[in-house]
Amino acid sequence: MDFDDDMILDQGPAVTITEAGDNFVNFALQKVDLSFANSLRRVIMAEIPIMAIDLVEIEVNSSVLPDEFLCHRLGLIPLVSKNCTEDVEYTRECDCDQYCSRCSVTLSLHAKCTSNEIMKVYAADLLVDHDRANPWVGTPVITDAEGKGTVICKLRNGQELRMKCIAKKGIGKEHAKWAPVAAVGFEYDPHNKLKHTDLWFEKSIAEEWPASKHAEWEEPAQEGERFDPDAEPDKYYFEVEGVGNLAPDQIIHEGIKVLQTKLATILNALGETKEDAGERFLPDDDVDMGGRNDFDNGYTTPGYNGPSYGNHGRATPYGATPYGQSGY
Amino acid sequence: MNAPDRFELFLLGEGEKKVTEEIDTRTPNTSIFTFNKEDHTLANMIRARLVKNPKVEFCGYKIPHPLFATFELRLQTNGEKTPKEMLIDACQTLIRSLNTLSADWTKEYELRRMVSGGGDK
Ligand SMILES: [Zn+2]
Repeated sequence: MDFDDDMILDQGPAVTITEAGDNFVNFALQKVDLSFANSLRRVIMAEIPIMAIDLVEIEVNSSVLPDEFLCHRLGLIPLVSKNCTEDVEYTRECDCDQYCSRCSVTLSLHAKCTSNEIMKVYAADLLVDHDRANPWVGTPVITDAEGKGTVICKLRNGQELRMKCIAKKGIGKEHAKWAPVAAVGFEYDPHNKLKHTDLWFEKSIAEEWPASKHAEWEEPAQEGERFDPDAEPDKYYFEVEGVGNLAPDQIIHEGIKVLQTKLATILNALGETKEDAGERFLPDDDVDMGGRNDFDNGYTTPGYNGPSYGNHGRATPYGATPYGQSGY
Repeated sequence: MNAPDRFELFLLGEGEKKVTEEIDTRTPNTSIFTFNKEDHTLANMIRARLVKNPKVEFCGYKIPHPLFATFELRLQTNGEKTPKEMLIDACQTLIRSLNTLSADWTKEYELRRMVSGGGDK
C-alpha cells in the first residue's frame, strides 16, 4: 500500500469545469491515466441507472402507428430519474409479483381525436400515477417553451389511443433508452503530440486538420521538438450532454458511484474466498448491509421473477450499497 | 432471434462467481483472474493501475470471446505480495481515487454555479 498511497496523495484526479448548463457540462479531467478517464466515459454512457418505459399494456390503438412502433417511441421518452438509484428498486430484485410502486412508475395515456383537425399526442399527455417511489421520479422530461414535450403520435378524426405504460429502472447496457446521456465528447492531446492518431493528409496537416476547440488549452509541439515515446496523456476533455433525466453533475456523481460499486463488488468477491478483503475495505460509516456482513447473501436475489427477465434466482451486483454514499 | 439476452451482459448467472482465481504454475507468482459479467470498463482500469506498480512484473487482460461478458486478467508479481493482494490493493486505490474525484467534482461544480448564478445556457 505504501507505493499506492504515495501515488494518490500527490496526483489524485483533478477537475476543471469549463462550461455548464442545465443539460450539459464540459470539463477537463487531469492527473489520471487514459484508462481511468475512458472507464468514466464508458460507465456514464452505459451503466448509470435511470427510468424508462419498459412495458406497455395497449387497450386501444387505432392510430396509423403499429403497437411496436408506438412502444418504442414511448420507451425513448426521457423520464425524470433523480435519486432513482436509491429510491427505486429493480423490478427483478423487488418482492412483488410483476411490478409495483416501489420498482416502477405507471403512466397512462388516453387520447382521442374528435375533430377534423389532426391531433398531436405529446409526452405531456402521459398521466403519471402518484403512487411512486418519490414525488418526481417517472415524470416525462419537458423542456420546450409550450410545455408539451415530444410528439408521440398524430391522430385523425375517430382514432384513439388508450394504454398503460410501466416505467422501470435499467441501464444503457441493456437498452439505449436507459442511457442518461445523448453523447459524451472525449478528447485528449489536441495537437496529436503523442501520435496516437495518424492524421492522413494530402499537402499539409495544419491546413487539412483544423485545430479542435481544446487546442488552445495545450502548447503545440515546438519547432524541432523531439518526439517523446514515453509521454502519456494527462488531460482529457469531456463534453457530457444529458438527456434531461439527470442533471449533469448527478450524471458524473452517479458514474463515479457505479465504478466504485463495481470495484467494491470485486473486493467483496475476493474477500469471500480467503481472508476477508471485503470487510477490510468497508468504510465504517452508515453502509447498510442489512445487519450482516456476509456478502454472498448481500448480492443475491433469490426471489426474483420480473416480467422482462423470465429466469428465477439471478445473482446481481446491484444489491450492493454504493460505496461511501455519505461521503459526498 | 438467437442473440443472447442483453441482461446477460451484467447479471451473474445461476451459481456464477464474480471473480475466480486460478494460479498459473508455468511462471512464479502468477494468477489468472476470471471476472464474470464485466468488460473493458473495469478490466482496463484495473490493468492500467497494476502495470504502474513496480511490484508487478506483468499484467494484461483479454476478453476470450466477444459474445461472453467475461475477461481474464493475468497478473505476475515480483514475489513481495501475492497477485490477489496486489489486485485488492489496486481496487482499493482506485476507489480512493474515485472518492477524490467525486469530492473535487462537487467543489468545482458548486464554484461554477456560484460564478454563473445557476448556470443557464
Ligand atoms: Zn415491485
